[in-house]
Amino acid sequence: MQVVAEKDIQLAELAEPRSGLADIRRRLFKNKAALFGLSIIILLVLCAIFANQIAPYTYDELVLPRMLRPPSADHLMGTDDLGRDIFSRVVHGSRISLEVGFIAVGLSLVLGTILGALAGYFGGVVDYLISAVTDIAWGFPVTLLAIVFVATMGPSLMSVMVAVALVSWAGYARLVRGQFLSLREKEFVEAARVLGMGHLRIIFRHILPNALAPVIVMTTLELPKAIIVEASLSFLGLGAQPPTPSWGSIISSGRGYILEAPWMVMFPGLMIMLVVLGFNLFGDALRDALDPRLKE
Amino acid sequence: MFKYILKKLIMMIPILIGATIIVFLMLHLAPGDPVHLIVGPNITPEVYDQIYRSLGLDQPAVVQYFKFLRNVLQGNLGNSILQRRPVMEIIWQRLPVTLELSLAALLISFAIAIPAGVLAAVKRNTITDYTCMTGALIGMSMPTFWFGLLLLYFFAYKGGYFPVSGYGTWKHLVLPAFAMGLTDAAVTARMARSSMLEVIRQDYIRTARSKGLAEKVVIYQHALKNALIPIITLLGLRIGWIMGGSVILEKVFARPGLGSLMVDAIFARDYPIVQGSLLVLTTFIILGNILADILYAVVDPRIKYH
Repeated sequence: MQVVAEKDIQLAELAEPRSGLADIRRRLFKNKAALFGLSIIILLVLCAIFANQIAPYTYDELVLPRMLRPPSADHLMGTDDLGRDIFSRVVHGSRISLEVGFIAVGLSLVLGTILGALAGYFGGVVDYLISAVTDIAWGFPVTLLAIVFVATMGPSLMSVMVAVALVSWAGYARLVRGQFLSLREKEFVEAARVLGMGHLRIIFRHILPNALAPVIVMTTLELPKAIIVEASLSFLGLGAQPPTPSWGSIISSGRGYILEAPWMVMFPGLMIMLVVLGFNLFGDALRDALDPRLKE
Repeated sequence: MFKYILKKLIMMIPILIGATIIVFLMLHLAPGDPVHLIVGPNITPEVYDQIYRSLGLDQPAVVQYFKFLRNVLQGNLGNSILQRRPVMEIIWQRLPVTLELSLAALLISFAIAIPAGVLAAVKRNTITDYTCMTGALIGMSMPTFWFGLLLLYFFAYKGGYFPVSGYGTWKHLVLPAFAMGLTDAAVTARMARSSMLEVIRQDYIRTARSKGLAEKVVIYQHALKNALIPIITLLGLRIGWIMGGSVILEKVFARPGLGSLMVDAIFARDYPIVQGSLLVLTTFIILGNILADILYAVVDPRIKYH
């Protein structure tokens, strides 16, 4: 009985080649760097969800007598100029980084994908107009445009999120447009058209799912960029406002005490680096796993 | 070739017009009354009316925009509210500080990134490759402003080799230029590596090898030339990124450049200065992008000029 079962499995494997998704998963999890990156991301998400449980103090608890204390068992990352526990602030800061990252990148993904899909699917004048705007936005440094936006709307995390979204949609638009240009000529699209399906249905139900793989890769690589832009703007005082514990603003407040209390600058910066590294490692590995040319 | 450059320069015009519209709208979309933004809230209604009219705010927005555009074309960017001097004059003073840092950073970036990227590609999957690419990944993951602060802490405050802040001598330039250059090199090195790998995979490289050419000749005479094409075009694009990034580094190192001028002006609500610096920075970034296109056409004979 058992023998038959084993045989059946072997036959099933022969008859049905490993599905694309399983193949990608196998290649991804063989990659140690990808696993390392993924564990950093998971830890960060857990840290953001359970911030209240993990942080030993609240992020805005002022205790002046204990200001500028070096790292110790009580205060793992030391305390700041107002006696706040830096570890607790850094833990709560993970919420801000993730929130800004996901919302900003989510907005730009939706905007860029829709515009890119329209340009690639319809071509002609629609394509020309959308591509012209995309090309202008694409060559522009993110930080600078974000500064313009924040300068106009006033400093806040909301401004930062909208700014990042308004700047980084162009990458998605270019990518999705390219995918649509080649996919719209495929037979399955023609079949859908012959069956009398509407444009919207063809775009969203038939072409888009086939164009998603590179979009997912791009998202894992856009998230760290958004996190860095948020930190940079908050460092300049244009993003999160006190007492919100954004990593960038913790570094900014530590700048004046860099000689007496370098830990105020070091730890939040190390956190940014670790998190960005995690996303980059995972994103790189994901791209390699999805690239058919790199199959062994 | 001349025609091609001319065409590229003409293409710059709509982009620049777009930039002036955005910069013009900034003042109008900003929360608060433009008159109060410019002279403060404590004025009599008569003075308010006078300024309102002198700013042309009683006219339709389109008329206002064309007046603004005419002034910009004549090099008149208005007066700074705080310093009470022409914006153009202030910008000319600050521009060399920003250009100096951007060019130094670009040189450092490419001097490190191209050899590292090519080496990593040629020695693919060896310890050299892993070292270069791990370094690049770490460099890419560091926020530039934080790396700048680290350099400042170790080499200026602790080591005392370089001044802590300011501008003037080459010693003031070293730390910010390396902070910008090294983080930028990380991105460029990765691109250089993948560009080189792309070329090594091509048929003509296999042909060169099977002809029995020495590996050195194959790599440096056949592959490198073609791999450099996309890298050179990066040069123009990186200028824009570096100038955008220098805005933040200037605040870290207290360099009196265009970036710190602009950030200070945002907080002081000195809108003419913000508008002016943005326009100048944008122009340089667009010029950088066009330079990239032109370089591409120069180095790649396959690109047609028309």
